[in-house]
Amino acid sequence: MPIDVARYHGWNGTLRGPWYSALAVTRTTLRQVFRRKVLWVLLALGLFNFLLYFALIYASTQLPRVGDRLLERMDFVVRPDAQQRNGYLRFVEQQGLVVMMLLAFAGSVIIGADFRQRGVAFYLAHGLHPVHYLWGKWLAVAVLLALVTALPALVLFVEYGLFTTDWDYWWQNRAVVSSVLGYVLVMAVVLGVLLLALGTWLHKTVPIAITWTSLLVLSGAVAGQLTRSTGNRYWLLLNLWRNVRVVGRWFFGYYPRPEDRLLAPWAALILGGLTALCAALLWWQLVRLRRWD
Amino acid sequence: MGEVPFVQMDQLTHRYGTTVALQEVSLALRPGTIGLVGNNGAGKSTLLKILLGMLRPTQGRVQVFGVPLRRARDQLRRRFGYMAEATAVLPLLKGVEYVALSGQLYGMTRRQAFRRAHEVLGYVGLGELRYRRVDEYSRGNLQRLKLAAALVHDPEVLLLDEPTNGLDPPGREAMLALLHDLIGQGGKSVLLCTHLLGDVERLCRHVVMLDRGRVIYDGPLAPLLQGQQGQWELRWRGPGEPWLAWLRNQGVQVQPSQNNHQAAAVVVLPTDWDTRRLFQSALEHQVVIQSLVPVERNLESVFLQLARSSPAPPRSEELPAQQLAEVADDAD
Repeated sequence: MPIDVARYHGWNGTLRGPWYSALAVTRTTLRQVFRRKVLWVLLALGLFNFLLYFALIYASTQLPRVGDRLLERMDFVVRPDAQQRNGYLRFVEQQGLVVMMLLAFAGSVIIGADFRQRGVAFYLAHGLHPVHYLWGKWLAVAVLLALVTALPALVLFVEYGLFTTDWDYWWQNRAVVSSVLGYVLVMAVVLGVLLLALGTWLHKTVPIAITWTSLLVLSGAVAGQLTRSTGNRYWLLLNLWRNVRVVGRWFFGYYPRPEDRLLAPWAALILGGLTALCAALLWWQLVRLRRWD
Repeated sequence: MGEVPFVQMDQLTHRYGTTVALQEVSLALRPGTIGLVGNNGAGKSTLLKILLGMLRPTQGRVQVFGVPLRRARDQLRRRFGYMAEATAVLPLLKGVEYVALSGQLYGMTRRQAFRRAHEVLGYVGLGELRYRRVDEYSRGNLQRLKLAAALVHDPEVLLLDEPTNGLDPPGREAMLALLHDLIGQGGKSVLLCTHLLGDVERLCRHVVMLDRGRVIYDGPLAPLLQGQQGQWELRWRGPGEPWLAWLRNQGVQVQPSQNNHQAAAVVVLPTDWDTRRLFQSALEHQVVIQSLVPVERNLESVFLQLARSSPAPPRSEELPAQQLAEVADDAD
């Protein structure tokens, strides 16, 4: 191909700081994720669940007798009741399962490929500190998570409010918003850092998915078996996914099982330790790569 | 080269564990075209990484545009554009998105970055391929893409790490033509890091040679390539031995050589000699001079000669303990 011999033109403009550039890391990562068709299948699964509840809430406002019965059968409480039952918690936890699968398959695109194909060096050679890079990547995970959990949950909350004429609903249930956001933040911090750490070490989709599933699902099976055989409920703390749920429920103040309230501080401690460990491993990998790549 | 240096290094040392990558490097890189040459493992990439702020030197001072390296992150982002040797493949991105991402990472807004990406991709000749995915680009086009990514924010200095490595001859020519245009019309300063010394000869006026972590030459290129004053390669026909003996008696340095089974030698004429006197003496000795050409050297031979004559650096264990104990905090 012949060279375009057009004159070189300069550019004048103000450049923004590296924290702004971290947002470009986030945008690019999300763009890469949404270009993987297989991930759209999982997103569609989450969307399907959302549409189901959306339709049920609509039915409960327009056809109260049928709709309320359906919601009751689904054990979905639109207005948190005296027993603190909360349908949005249930919805976020269901969506959380989709998130778990989504992140298992997206880990390679989000960060693994950067380590495998010198993407990290590309980012850091633009004057970004590893902190900016990691912030951008974590933000991408958080946005992805919020898109599947927090955003649809809040849409359902708003939907019910819009289809009823009860103005007190907004004020009385305002805590739903902060509870949903708090729960999702816990998921984003723990799952985000864990995924980034796994991605930097394992790089490819299959190893990441296997390890991710082992940590979040297999640990649950092991914990359940140990609890049943010993009768000691503290073995449940081995179940990382359950720990996330137990800590997340703290924002809703609702624990179906009383012992979960007792286990919550320990679960938070374990998740905090795990997150700190993953963050340290992540940092170590980045520094090592910066030196040798 | 009287301008203020854009990079000033003073006694720069960098170590990876016990391996010394750079040792007491002192350089002042001024605006212009500078070739950074050396064998594999000479310390070129380490030097570039330090300049980019990706590595903190073990010891020594580095200033970028007069600012200590640690506080120069903004200067680096604004005024340096880096083209890496290895291509970072960001999966599923298109060419224009790759370049625009580079612009955004340097600090441009999204809109500015995309507008500018289209412009520079046109300039480097990838206008028609900008919507193709990066992992579908050929090697030559990838090199151009990386150059566009380095140019997107219009930096003053381009740090180019092996820009022609792995290219076929037409691709190499095209890349060199682009760089030549950028240096000439674009007014860019270029630090060209390569082991292809022909590229340096084509583009650079100043050269820094590294060997085993040490600077073995830092200066203008032209004097290196000029042969020794009065050095000629000579071929003749006829009885050469008496003539050569006579020349030696007259103070001419004669180094006989065999060239295609012809009588040949390299001669160094005394300063008060000119070539007419050489022809005159040949005529007197019944020798016919067939060719007489000035000896020109290339950068490769000069580099090898300098590398051979430079002393081997001390092994890491031989470095003074105090030097090893210096922490990076003192680096700048």
